Amino acid sequence: MRKNFIPAALIFVLVIGALLTGCGGGTAPETESQDVAKTGTLEFRANGEDFIRQGFVSKDGWALAFDHVYVTLADVTAYQASPPYDPDKGGDVQAKVKVSLPGTHTVDLAEGDENAPPILVGEVKDAPAGHYNAISWKMIKAPEGPAEGYALVIIGKAEKEGRTIDFNIKFDQQYAFTGGEYVGDQRKGILEENGTADLEMTFHFDHIFGDAETPADDELNVGALGFEPFAALAENGKVDADTAALKARLSPADYQKLEEVLPTLGHVGEGHCHCEAI
Amino acid sequence: MKQKLFVALAVSFILVAIPVTAFAHGARITYQTRTAIEITAAYDTGEPMEGAQVTIYAPDDPSTPCFTGVCDENGRFTFTPDLSKPGTWDVQVRHAGHGGIIHIPVGEETAAQGGTCYTPLQIVLMAACVVWGLVGTALFFARRKA
Repeated sequence: MRKNFIPAALIFVLVIGALLTGCGGGTAPETESQDVAKTGTLEFRANGEDFIRQGFVSKDGWALAFDHVYVTLADVTAYQASPPYDPDKGGDVQAKVKVSLPGTHTVDLAEGDENAPPILVGEVKDAPAGHYNAISWKMIKAPEGPAEGYALVIIGKAEKEGRTIDFNIKFDQQYAFTGGEYVGDQRKGILEENGTADLEMTFHFDHIFGDAETPADDELNVGALGFEPFAALAENGKVDADTAALKARLSPADYQKLEEVLPTLGHVGEGHCHCEAI
Repeated sequence: MKQKLFVALAVSFILVAIPVTAFAHGARITYQTRTAIEITAAYDTGEPMEGAQVTIYAPDDPSTPCFTGVCDENGRFTFTPDLSKPGTWDVQVRHAGHGGIIHIPVGEETAAQGGTCYTPLQIVLMAACVVWGLVGTALFFARRKA
């Protein structure tokens, strides 16, 4: 009797174990495969906002107009993050789906007229449908082209009280930005099957120059450098300076302020990003 | 700006109750208790985001705002989510070119109950297994004594 009991018990345990196997795991892969089957086009855009397209007045009264603002982007990746990414905490984005835009892209944020749409950096046509609620990108030195050797080049004209200065300011600082969901008028990143959605890498240049339309004691203007320190570097009505020249010729306090604001350039619409120097 | 305008959004749940009073001149007054969510939006300086635009998305339609409004002078805004739509409610707050978004779980207890990974068949089988094991063990030792 005891000999029969042990095999019977083993068979019973195996049958029960087989029935119980798969607990909780049955639906997730199915859902994931369904999501993967549904695809659409995901666009990646870069935006210097109206500040760049239309120009603006700096906190210290310089009217700035921009001919070219070159920024070089790499490792651009969109995420369906879960949990939602918190830029204040930083760290890696946790996501079940992520879509990368291959290549390195130098774009001119001043391209087009004053009402031009944000610049299309690139698109991925077979992106899985879903809600892309986080994005990361690197701002790196351009390997070639008009901004070669620099991550950010700002070219334009500044005017104040009859004085005009042509400027060409070049930065070689490189940063990795990571942002959560786009914050703005319209919700972005919701990609439906066979549809098109876009994500935006937004750059806030008022953080560098300040904004005359914002109160002087606002934290934006308190932290901004303004244009006057750059104007002080002008020779024959021109400022042509790269990072090394700025470090050498700006006051230590102004250069430090510049280094503090550059990592705050990257946004997702109006939402700020986590930033790490590369 | 170094102003990483970080929107600190504190969330608290409050109960809004419309009290029942009495009938007068044919007026019918009823009440119902609802769960409301109050958000508080402030800059990282602690300054309230007075007048900030609030846009709220329900989990069943992430593209269309479910509620919109404006924060009061203390940066506060209160809304009552539809509890028949459990999931994450997204609240976006914007002011003066900066803003943030917070994700608020609603009805999580429901989700937790629905999230159990065992089917009724599996639960019955597990119970049967335990009972059968107890009985079998008892019989085994009872036979050895005999």
